[in-house]
Amino acid sequence: MAYLRLISQRLVMTVLTLWGLATLVFIMIKLIPGDEAQVAAGPGANPEQVASVAKRLGLDLPVLQQYLNFLLRMLRGDLGTSVVSSKPVLTELAAVLPSTIELMIFASIIGTLIAFPMALVAASYRGKAFDGIARIVAVTGGAMPAFWLALMLQFFFGNVWRITPISGQHSFGIASPNVTGMPTLDALLAGDIPAFLDALAYLILPAFVFAIPFAAQVFRLLRASLLGVLASDMMLPVRAKGASTSRMVLRHALPNSLLPTVSLMGVLVGGMVGGAILVETVFARRGVGSFLANSVALKDTYAVLGAVMFVGIAVCLVNLVADIITLMLDPRIRGTQFGAGAK
Amino acid sequence: MGVDTILTDGIIPAPVRRRPEALLQVEQLSIDIATRDANVRLVDNVSFGIGRGERVALVGESGSGKSVTAQALMRLNSRVKLSGRVNFDGKDLLSLSPSQMAAMRGQRMGMVFQDPMSSLDPLMTIGDQVAETLRIRGISKRNARQRALDVLDELKVERAAERLDSFPHEFSGGMRQRVVLAMALVGEPDLLIADEPTTALDVRVQERVLDLLDEISRRRSLAVLLITHDMGIVAGFADRVMVMYSGRIVEENEATLLFAEPQHPYTRGLLEAVPRADVTVDRLRSIPGAPPVPAARPSGCTFHPRCDRAMAICSSVEPGEAITPSGARVRCHLYGAG
Ligand SMILES: Nc1ncnc2c1ncn2[C@@H]1O[C@H](COP(=O)(O)OP(=O)(O)OP(=O)(O)O)[C@@H](O)[C@H]1O
Ligand code: SF4
Ligand SMILES: [Mg+2]
Repeated sequence: MAYLRLISQRLVMTVLTLWGLATLVFIMIKLIPGDEAQVAAGPGANPEQVASVAKRLGLDLPVLQQYLNFLLRMLRGDLGTSVVSSKPVLTELAAVLPSTIELMIFASIIGTLIAFPMALVAASYRGKAFDGIARIVAVTGGAMPAFWLALMLQFFFGNVWRITPISGQHSFGIASPNVTGMPTLDALLAGDIPAFLDALAYLILPAFVFAIPFAAQVFRLLRASLLGVLASDMMLPVRAKGASTSRMVLRHALPNSLLPTVSLMGVLVGGMVGGAILVETVFARRGVGSFLANSVALKDTYAVLGAVMFVGIAVCLVNLVADIITLMLDPRIRGTQFGAGAK
Repeated sequence: MGVDTILTDGIIPAPVRRRPEALLQVEQLSIDIATRDANVRLVDNVSFGIGRGERVALVGESGSGKSVTAQALMRLNSRVKLSGRVNFDGKDLLSLSPSQMAAMRGQRMGMVFQDPMSSLDPLMTIGDQVAETLRIRGISKRNARQRALDVLDELKVERAAERLDSFPHEFSGGMRQRVVLAMALVGEPDLLIADEPTTALDVRVQERVLDLLDEISRRRSLAVLLITHDMGIVAGFADRVMVMYSGRIVEENEATLLFAEPQHPYTRGLLEAVPRADVTVDRLRSIPGAPPVPAARPSGCTFHPRCDRAMAICSSVEPGEAITPSGARVRCHLYGAG
């Protein structure tokens, strides 16, 4: 039962965080200089339009009432209306979200595939050449600023060696029918392998901009915690059983290191949502990040605040999922419900 | 240096009672560790044997080198440098390759450690941890599980079948120590090294675990090296006792003889500090002072600053090994090799 209690604690925390975020967004709306109805209706709106928006948003009501109405709108998923497109912000975000998710998933997979084997080998051969090189690579990879990394990747892979496209999501004319909003998945669903490879080629550079710092951090934490477990009292009996180094690392050190590592990965994936602003803009990709950047450029206040709210929700949910996975990995927390014969 | 060499090396008599069925024969084992500025000798030239099915106790104060010696027998600590010979059933363990050595562990020799709380993997079920010793040898999952169950039954873990799938945190300290013992015994080793297996447990649980160990070692004719600083638990268990002080074995004898006629002043000190076999008090109260650290051992007999019978020679010349009429192998000038 400890497990359920901890999960509900996390849920309560998430709800409180989102409430705080919504309040912050509400305050920001109030702090924007100028007439709020005018802002919401857009710079080109005529007085009638402004008046109707003011009525719809209830701007004549007392502030507390407005605040409660705002929270209720948030609960209903109403993030406001884009001034530029006159569409609900949520609809616009929903259209671009899959593309961001595709990028994040792909980046996390690449980062994990780099970090885990590296950390496992480095910890198994601590202090040997591979360990030393891997650590230097990780420090270097972790220290590169995202914008610089993005430009370098574009320059070398796109311009100099011409291995990958520089920006965009697919080549002209080979887009598959939009089903999921993720170009790679859509191509697969359409059974169009060339289109899939094409979309993958466009995905790879932006994914690496996320994957490299992700891998560097995951590598460092995983290596350190593997070594910590290997040096702990727990390992002497395992060694005394006749276990090989690889068994000690894979069967004992790895599961025990997974808990902190998954937590970190949750935080890092959450951070990617924010990083999407830069990466999607630099690589001219559809997504939550470029939507946010565009809205800022167009002074589309409600779209910006709606997207901020949305990103906050996304980060909270990613962290929540990571927390729940972490809890499920630990039998001490998971509790007695799955273990047989517990007293 | 010259005198020293003559006294230590020249006078070592033929080893006592080297049993025909010797299982383990340790010869001039030294253990060094490289620290930042120097090479420190943790254990210096110890020699001893353990026969098949024999129960030997290794006693001494904290820091005397018991654990380091025990782990050296299985080459568990890769940070120390070992020299000398460790013959186990005719094989010199120190010259085995790492994988050959790993093949000895768990199968021919098992080990249990001091703290049962931290000796188990919190994320693996009890059944899997016991069976692991066998799984490493490629025994099928089903067979390994069955044998794990048998050993847990042998160790009187109640409702063992139901508890195979529980995790360590669901067990009490005494039960965990049985699980740890089961991990060491399931491979049916010839030698069990038990490094203070009961120190972390309360007295009643201690006794039960030792009784079990006693029973199993008789039934399986399993040789046991029991490490402890508790003279009280040695008396009822061991056939033979070795007393370690500052990285050397200073006295060794049959348990009954050692308790009846302790020879070395250090052994006497240890025994005088045990008022009753069943009462745990600060056993070392009667020996003044503290043992030296390995990096700064006194010259001559390392015990001389604390010895109430020290003579002039003791502070300058290291005593060699001698055999007393009671059969003790002892390193002390009182039993001059002459
Ligand atoms: N890794 C190490 N580095 C430096 N010194 C060490 C190391 N391991 C052990 N020692 C030293 O070796 C000596 C012997 O240690 P050991 O653990 O064998 O003692 P012990 O007799 O088992 O004591 P206890 O009864 O406390 O377990 C101690 O002085 C200890 O400080
Ligand atoms: S050699 Fe001397 S100092 Fe050492 S124990 Fe014997 S009498 Fe004491
Ligand atoms: Mg010890």
